[in-house]
Amino acid sequence: MSRVMRRTPSHVPTAESSADYERGGDSYIRRRGRDFIIALYSASRALKLYPLENAAVQNALHELTGLAGDLLKHERELELRVSGEFIFINATRLRLDLDNYASFSRILMMFRDAGVGVCRVEEGAGPREWTSLLTILPSATTVDVPARFAHVTGRLEAAGIRSFALSGPTDSDDDDFREKAKEAAKRTYAQSVTVTKEVINSVRMGRSPNIKKIKRAVQSIVDQILNEETSLLGLTTLRDYDEYTFTHSVNVCIFSVALGRKIGLTKLQLYDLGVAALLHDIGKSRVPLEILNKPDGLNDEEWRMMSAHPWLGVLALFQMRGQAELPYRAMVVAHEHHMKTDLTGYPKHLRERQMSIYSKIVAVADGFDAATSRRVYQTEPLTPVAVLAEMRNNPRRGMDPVIVKAFVSLVGHYPVGTLVVLDTFELAVVHAVNPVPEAISRPIVRVISDERGNLLHPGTLVDLHQQDATGRFLRTIIKLADPDRYGIRVSDYFA
Amino acid sequence: MSTQSQPVPASRELAEPPFPPALVEEMLKVLVKGIRAHQLYLPNNPVYQRALENLKRAFLPVWSHVDEISLSITESDFRWEGRPVMHEANKSESLPWIFFKDGIRELRLMKGFEEQEVVGLLDILKRVKKASPEEDDLLTLIWEKDFTLLRYRFIDLTLENNNPIEPSVPAERPEPLPPPQEMEAEPEARPGIVRLEDLDSTVHFLDEQEIDYLRTEVHKEYSSDVRRNVLAILLDIFELQTGKPVRDEISEILENFLMHLLSAGHFATVAYVLRESQELSARARELDAAHRTKLVGLPDRLSAAGPLSNLLQAMDESASVPNQTELNQLFEQLRPSSLGTLFTWLGRLQHAEVKAAIEIAAARLAAANTAELVKLIGSSDVEIAMESARRAGGLKSAAAVAPLGKLLTHEAAKLRLIAVTALSEINSAGALQQLERAVDDDDRDVRVAAVRILGARGQRGALPKVEAAVKGRSLRDADLTEKMAFFEAYGSLAAAAGVAFLDGLLNGKGFLGKREDSELRACAAMALGKIGTRDAADSLQRAQGDKDVLVRNAVNRAVRGGAA
Repeated sequence: MSRVMRRTPSHVPTAESSADYERGGDSYIRRRGRDFIIALYSASRALKLYPLENAAVQNALHELTGLAGDLLKHERELELRVSGEFIFINATRLRLDLDNYASFSRILMMFRDAGVGVCRVEEGAGPREWTSLLTILPSATTVDVPARFAHVTGRLEAAGIRSFALSGPTDSDDDDFREKAKEAAKRTYAQSVTVTKEVINSVRMGRSPNIKKIKRAVQSIVDQILNEETSLLGLTTLRDYDEYTFTHSVNVCIFSVALGRKIGLTKLQLYDLGVAALLHDIGKSRVPLEILNKPDGLNDEEWRMMSAHPWLGVLALFQMRGQAELPYRAMVVAHEHHMKTDLTGYPKHLRERQMSIYSKIVAVADGFDAATSRRVYQTEPLTPVAVLAEMRNNPRRGMDPVIVKAFVSLVGHYPVGTLVVLDTFELAVVHAVNPVPEAISRPIVRVISDERGNLLHPGTLVDLHQQDATGRFLRTIIKLADPDRYGIRVSDYFA
Repeated sequence: MSTQSQPVPASRELAEPPFPPALVEEMLKVLVKGIRAHQLYLPNNPVYQRALENLKRAFLPVWSHVDEISLSITESDFRWEGRPVMHEANKSESLPWIFFKDGIRELRLMKGFEEQEVVGLLDILKRVKKASPEEDDLLTLIWEKDFTLLRYRFIDLTLENNNPIEPSVPAERPEPLPPPQEMEAEPEARPGIVRLEDLDSTVHFLDEQEIDYLRTEVHKEYSSDVRRNVLAILLDIFELQTGKPVRDEISEILENFLMHLLSAGHFATVAYVLRESQELSARARELDAAHRTKLVGLPDRLSAAGPLSNLLQAMDESASVPNQTELNQLFEQLRPSSLGTLFTWLGRLQHAEVKAAIEIAAARLAAANTAELVKLIGSSDVEIAMESARRAGGLKSAAAVAPLGKLLTHEAAKLRLIAVTALSEINSAGALQQLERAVDDDDRDVRVAAVRILGARGQRGALPKVEAAVKGRSLRDADLTEKMAFFEAYGSLAAAAGVAFLDGLLNGKGFLGKREDSELRACAAMALGKIGTRDAADSLQRAQGDKDVLVRNAVNRAVRGGAA
């Protein structure tokens, strides 16, 4: 039956041609899968806190049983797979959001710590079976890591529980998933840069840009961020020096949409935010190129022209014809993205106003990408960590502290692309923020050289939250490193 | 038009389908009918409901074999398992073409789609069929809908000249990297490297308060008027940037934007622009004459007959009723000169609810601009003059008395009648004095209305004319209503002085004992009832046994005090 097709992660674009995409259709499993994980977490928590006969425990177990039953009935199968930083239900990766990330990370850790990669739920899994599973899984940490999986399966067997088929972690599916996601991200990134270039150049030449292309590019970015954000966030490290204006706009769009997702925006809200972020610097299309590309400091007149780009952006966006509705939110963001939260900064305003949340998000994304990029007038960019620290600790930057906080939790203490030295003296590039909330200082990294400096390509992904049997972390970051000193281009590990 | 699938050439090796293609063909045919019904009928129409039921049923035979079905799409065909299952050559009506032209190359429908999501797809197809090129295409609409049981594969037609990102491999290195252990033992080479302890790992979780703050901010984002925000930005730029080209550009944007907002029905936002532009022009001293004229002139231009007529016509033809508060705000910003156009249109509007909404807004505008209203009473346009007179009466505008009086000489009787009503509503001494002129008007309705009011208000100045009428010959030829109006007014105005004359009419006998005409006697009885003195009551009592039914009834009514 064709249902088997869904074993392939269905949200990853197919690779039939460079511009061939597949979308839609997995909202049910995402929605119900999320409910299932939350119910699993609630039941596990209730079992820890109360005796079995307590009403809260019984209710939680019944809800879990019901949800699992519904999924089985609808999907004809129910498979929970934890892999790296992801949780999959029937091959569909579940999305994290503001309301569920804590539950997700606990479940992820519980399965990972027990050495269980896959759990297939069969018909007949009732409260008794779930109780056994949720009691046995956490108990696995009492034995050595290599023996944990056998411990869990043995105890389930002994208890006569046959409703769950368990197996260990499956890295090959993960690699396949990552590879496809990476390819899709590269296509999306390249497409977005092309579209941005076209839009900005069109406006510069007084032509009306194609809004449909902008919409399509943002839709792709939103889809990518919702499905697998790591690959796209990794590509923000490309930061093409020559194409700065365009790659910067795309990077700001990616960071903004990812941040929007982090704070729980809906798909359509992410779309609005994405369009606004992609077009936030469109006013620069009205600033003379010799000023934009001037390597030295700007004189007063040049600075006046440069600092006009936010309000020039509003006028440029009014120039966009060929659409039913003008991009109002993008106009507001273009105008406000250099304002501080107290509405100082530039441009000045006369009428009473409240800064849009989207402007606050774009301001943070813009500030981060600009400060960490190499540009004509900034040949030595700051490290991502230094920029985060400045945004967080310096109130004079005027960034919204809650948005900055959410941004730090999005990119981690070591943002994607940061080069780090491990206590093994291996060099590693930060690949993704750790999905376990407490492990914000222990990202997933790609080890790219051994302790003697021998280069590894593509290197190995390592979760810095992994511990040995004694609870000691296998690897720890001891230092940030300067890629230039090693002659390393971190973007090589994302493209 | 959909057609049956073409027979598969024998030479082509196609795998045996899991079930007969005819089931899919039938399902698609019913889908096309469903699309048509969705376009033609409202959801509560039985024809539409039947079509939808048929459509849902048409999926069932397919679901009895599989849980999902995949259709590939070409310019003119839907194909299933390599076989055409719908062929529509005519692009203008072709369902495959609608999908194909926007890049969709495959649709996968899953079981339950027909129950949960098919209407969503019908909505989208209806929108796309009517959409202009600048509206969202099929791909965007499907993307926004976020279907659960429909998947699609598409090629992005907007992608051209896209430079792909090639897989990157680090440059060949003759030797290993510098050993990290040695490198990192050196002192820090560059600023900006922070120490790990600078970052505290526990402070980056959002607490409940912070999450609430973000939710509130997002809610505010979508509940505030973003257009108004953009307009405030534009006006700020206009005020702060003194360069002529910028101001020229913004003036033009404002004017176009205003039209856009009007056509989209964002009246409160238009009102905001008009209000702010007036304040801005008063505040910004360095404005050049041309810009000032443009800004100040915005309400003038909108109040002019042409644009305002367009707006009113658009509202009348629109399916939706404008928000009353927004409409009031807009009309408050219009120039008084717009009243004339509004009054003309109030008589023409067909949409009852729109008319009611505009009526209220126009009443507020008129109330705020009585001088203009009074001026319009003298308009050469009868419709405008009528509407103005009516509203001036409603507003009891003393200033309207003279022009209303003037209207009493207008050739149009309906206008004179409205003037009479308006003067009666104003009810001032001056208004009633003007009314006296209408007692001998050429038009019967005008006379009746005027004399009733004058009688009711006890306007003694009218007595000579009323008396002349009741005692004259011409009233004898009038209908009963007019006679009654005049006699009752006479009774009210003449009081005791009129009893003798009226008693003569009611009870007197003429030559050879002949009595007056029944109607006149009945009217005299009613007039006596109005007078209500003892003499009048005696006169009525004497007539209570009258043989004439009409007279007897009138007498009885007058005695009971139930005049008219």
